[in-house]
Amino acid sequence: MLVQNAIADTLNNAEWTFALAECVHIGGFAVSIGSIALVDFRMLNLGLRKETAARILRYTEPWTLIALVFVVFSGLMLFLSQADIYLVNQIFPLKMYILIAALIYNFTVHRKVAKMENPPPVLNKLVAVISLLLWVSVVFGGIFTGFLV
Amino acid sequence: MGIAHSIQSIGFLTDFSESVLAYPIVLSTHLACIGLFGGMILATDLRLLGLTFNSLTITEVVTSLRPWKRVGGTIMIAMGLLLATSEAEKYAPNPFFWTKMVILGLIGVHALVFRPIVYNKTEELDRSPAIPTRAKVAAILSLVLWTSMFVMGRLIAYWD
Repeated sequence: MLVQNAIADTLNNAEWTFALAECVHIGGFAVSIGSIALVDFRMLNLGLRKETAARILRYTEPWTLIALVFVVFSGLMLFLSQADIYLVNQIFPLKMYILIAALIYNFTVHRKVAKMENPPPVLNKLVAVISLLLWVSVVFGGIFTGFLV
Repeated sequence: MGIAHSIQSIGFLTDFSESVLAYPIVLSTHLACIGLFGGMILATDLRLLGLTFNSLTITEVVTSLRPWKRVGGTIMIAMGLLLATSEAEKYAPNPFFWTKMVILGLIGVHALVFRPIVYNKTEELDRSPAIPTRAKVAAILSLVLWTSMFVMGRLIAYWD
């Protein structure tokens, strides 16, 4: 059922729908990671310093959430189009673990510290660096899924 | 074809495209930059349109993100150059690649046109009661150009 399904048929029969799903996936992650990175850069004191991280988070969070919906949905479509290949891929499960860790981290620790009024500077920076590392690792996981089978 | 072949035959480029790890690492870096620094371009454009970060001045958004966008752009172009030149023979006949290069050129033109009247005049924009049309035009064109740039990048893989 995972290998033969309506989505797989559509995507394999019309190459452009696969390309479209990939574009939505990459565009979506660019917006979601990019919006999270803006908060991280603020927490690292590298930009947008005239506003608090909490306020930056309030501005960016809707973008992050909407983009994440697009990323996950298009990612699911890409997965279902070739589920048999992804299920035996060595890197893919690793990417999923990092993704789940990044998502949980983003909406718990990261969110909490970004909203703190006077977080210890070291904590602030550590939380931001971990966030950037997690999300960049997800991107690397995605590319490596395609290269190292 | 001769030139493309000579380019990709340069020693380190051949080593690079044949390496199991280097190629995907460079491609991942290229893509991670799209995320990290593309977000900053998006933030700047949306601020120019008055859609977000309204408690920050345009000046603050443009000037504080500018150095990072430069760093990101440099890494992105360097990585892209490696990816394209190491497989020059594959890229040379690809119309999506050349469309992408034309768009990259147009992004340069956009900078030349709008830097003196928008990006280097942010204090003037901040003093204006409403965001001037020229700033909004710059933002919309930037969004269109960068979106097409990224779509062409993806489509390069689909031409055969």
